[in-house]
Amino acid sequence: MLMKHFILLAVLSVLLIAPLQANQQGIVVRTAAVHASPSHGAQRVGEITAGTTVSIFSRQGGWKEVFSEEHSIIGWVRSYQVREGNAAPVVETTNESDSRGFLAGLASFSRKASSFFKSDSSATSSGTATIGVRGLSEEEIKTARADFAEFEKMIKFASNSKRAGSFARQGGLSSTRVPHISGKKQ
Amino acid sequence: MKILSQVILLVSLGLGPAVTTPSFALSLEDLNEELKQAGEKLKQKTRQGQEAIDRARGKLSTEEEIEVGGNLISGLLGAAPLVDDAGLQQYVNDVGYWVAAQSRRSDLPWSFGVIDSEGVNAFAAPGGYVVITLGLYNLLENEAQLAGVLAHEIAHVVRKHHLKALQKTMKREFWADLGVKAASHEHHAEELKKLINSGVQLYASGLDRKYEYDADLRAVVLAARAGYDPYALLDVLTTIDSINPEASELTVFMNTHPPTAQRLDQLGRKMDGRLDDYASGRHNTARFRRVGGDP
Repeated sequence: MLMKHFILLAVLSVLLIAPLQANQQGIVVRTAAVHASPSHGAQRVGEITAGTTVSIFSRQGGWKEVFSEEHSIIGWVRSYQVREGNAAPVVETTNESDSRGFLAGLASFSRKASSFFKSDSSATSSGTATIGVRGLSEEEIKTARADFAEFEKMIKFASNSKRAGSFARQGGLSSTRVPHISGKKQ
Repeated sequence: MKILSQVILLVSLGLGPAVTTPSFALSLEDLNEELKQAGEKLKQKTRQGQEAIDRARGKLSTEEEIEVGGNLISGLLGAAPLVDDAGLQQYVNDVGYWVAAQSRRSDLPWSFGVIDSEGVNAFAAPGGYVVITLGLYNLLENEAQLAGVLAHEIAHVVRKHHLKALQKTMKREFWADLGVKAASHEHHAEELKKLINSGVQLYASGLDRKYEYDADLRAVVLAARAGYDPYALLDVLTTIDSINPEASELTVFMNTHPPTAQRLDQLGRKMDGRLDDYASGRHNTARFRRVGGDP
């Protein structure tokens, strides 16, 4: 009983705080089990169905803490079950693409022209698939003439252990021993 | 008579060792030497035998692997050249090299590149060559996601997936022929050329789907070893899964990989709980955004 009150209180407080905090929106891309804490052994408190828009509060490891108004639930779901961004990420992200620089700008420009994301309003209309993509169509891969000058250019950019080591240190990266996952359920 | 025989026995017992020891020691040394030589010969024969078996099974020497891979990647560069941005290329090489250094084939001449194609894809070639398209790079949000994608390709190289695939497509006689030591240089080059042509077809048809799942699983471990959040690869797959499958940018990717949703399910399930300790790994979003952006 006490727990129920607590959950209600938590949901209510989130409802009140949500407009102030929840600047990050996301879409649940596959129906997700909601856990009480970011751990797979944690208590399951509910489920959010695919396609639901959620507010993302925080991220911890492979988990995202989300709130769904539709399901009146707050909790932790697997990170890959939620895609960050709103329903039509490309159309309204001119600011974001600016912060990423010209490369992202170019990409979003080309994506605006086609129905790139499933959630784009025009995604259901057919006809874009026939437009060829610059470079690397199946035919181009098969018929292209090898460009050895470009290959020479590529290997000149190669890093080495000294350079990569200092790059890692600058990025706060250090190597850790991690065993391979067998793939078999233990 | 009895006493005499006893004396003889005693004398022979007493002298015996003194007389026989030197000759015995000498023969033991010889024997040791001979054994050593025989051991070396055996090792050499075994090595030659293993090489012959490797040939028959379609295994290349590391040098040949690098040669074939270099040709294959040159073919891809012929279809889409490098993006003209030295800073971006160096950055991708640093991330890639650092991840590859965590693998058991860190001694390969690892080389990475971003190629100018809107298609969403990444490719690897034997010997340590990896390219990612600009179309895929632009979908990424941070360095950990880049590391995840490169780690997937690195895993293909480390596990020799392309060579295993070629081993199946080329006939046994081809490999036996390739292994003939007396073959002329021209003949050998001709054989490698055949291999390269078959390799190019692989990029259009894709690898066995089981290799893709294997590379996903190896990739998240490599990323964790390098200090990155291993879950970043799942974020990339989630982004790709949200793309309209009809989009022309995705055609080759869709034709050459298992359905993205299935990859996510498999990888998510197999990782479940096992890499949580490393999920606090780095994302390096700020560093990622500084690259290839503002001048």
